Amino acid sequence: MTLRWKFLLVGGLIFIVLAAAIYFPILRRRVKRAAKLQQQSAEQARRELTQPIAINPGDPRVKSKLFWASDTIDSMLVPVTVELPLSNDPVLRSKQVLNTLLAGPVDAELRTLPPDALLLAFYLLPDGTAIADFSEALATSIPSGIASEQLAVNSITRTLEANVPQVQRLKILIHGQEVETLAGHLDLTGTFLVNTKPAQAPVQLVPTARGEDKPATPVPAPGALTPDKSPGKLAQPEHKP
Amino acid sequence: MLSFAVEVRRALEQQGFQVVQTRQGNENPSFDDRSATANAQRGAVFVTLHISSTGLPGTARVYVNSDLAPIADSNGLLPWDRAQAPFLGLSRTFGDFVQGFLAQRFKGSPETAQTASVRQLRTTAAPAIAVEISSVTVDDRADLDRMAPGVADAIARGAAAFRPVYVVPRTPGAVL
Repeated sequence: MTLRWKFLLVGGLIFIVLAAAIYFPILRRRVKRAAKLQQQSAEQARRELTQPIAINPGDPRVKSKLFWASDTIDSMLVPVTVELPLSNDPVLRSKQVLNTLLAGPVDAELRTLPPDALLLAFYLLPDGTAIADFSEALATSIPSGIASEQLAVNSITRTLEANVPQVQRLKILIHGQEVETLAGHLDLTGTFLVNTKPAQAPVQLVPTARGEDKPATPVPAPGALTPDKSPGKLAQPEHKP
Repeated sequence: MLSFAVEVRRALEQQGFQVVQTRQGNENPSFDDRSATANAQRGAVFVTLHISSTGLPGTARVYVNSDLAPIADSNGLLPWDRAQAPFLGLSRTFGDFVQGFLAQRFKGSPETAQTASVRQLRTTAAPAIAVEISSVTVDDRADLDRMAPGVADAIARGAAAFRPVYVVPRTPGAVL
């Protein structure tokens, strides 16, 4: 091999090494960026599936009442008036107010629902029964206990009562499934009473004679209203685990 | 929680009640299993004990089940899934007695029983209450332990005050 060829070979090798030294960090950055983009895409897809309904600026701005925990009285709800552009469609409107409720108040201590809980779906049947499907976080992240579970459900039903008069009853699902309790205590097998007077103006919070918030009440099955009877013999359970 | 149950059992037995516990240790009977134990007794009251994750520490609340649809079956049988319905009035009276004694002992507790859709109470065919103690957020667990005798005493005194109101067909009893 001539001296000229040796120089060319060494020069070529040096060029390759230099080019690699320059290009390798760039390549590494690009790979990292691509991986990050892929991760963002997955997150973006998840958000697109679960993100709150976009507020349409064209919708009329309405003073809506959202029910969060009181900062003065333990285990009580207080209405907070928030001006929101709300749809006239009851399903969209329900999604808008519930997503605002889930987003929480300014003071995070007054939340009634876990910050990572999502409203996955909301349906309204012709008879006024609404079905709200929440992510599992509603059940797994809520502080366990009768008071906190009742407060969570009451904040949902009160908020719907105040803003969506078409909703008369509410059934709560967790990740598309019916569950026995919210977090071990509160009964989710039935529906909760929301509005007793359908399609009227938003209803104010009605204190009970005991001075507490009116609790969300399970609704009787249609056609089951007859005079009460004295206790009789127990029937067998229909579904015993 | 079991240490609370032991205290409550002792206090109830001192008042002359027979006590049946739905669990003795770490077993986890279903809601229906617990109700089945209670519903097998005659003239019983049912008390379920809980410690909350929230609420004003050092207070205790009594819950009775929210209103249930009245029994409509014409066969005279009590539907399992609404077994509590005919007992709601008695449950409220019993709950108010217990809550009254708790309020005397634990300042900041409500004066009367609250209502909530408590799953365990719905299938219980007896005057039934849930007692929830606040809360697990106390800095020192001993603070909760110190509440046990007071809670037990309030439940036992509440049950004793309730006894004349609750017409017992046969043997008096209490179920935990």
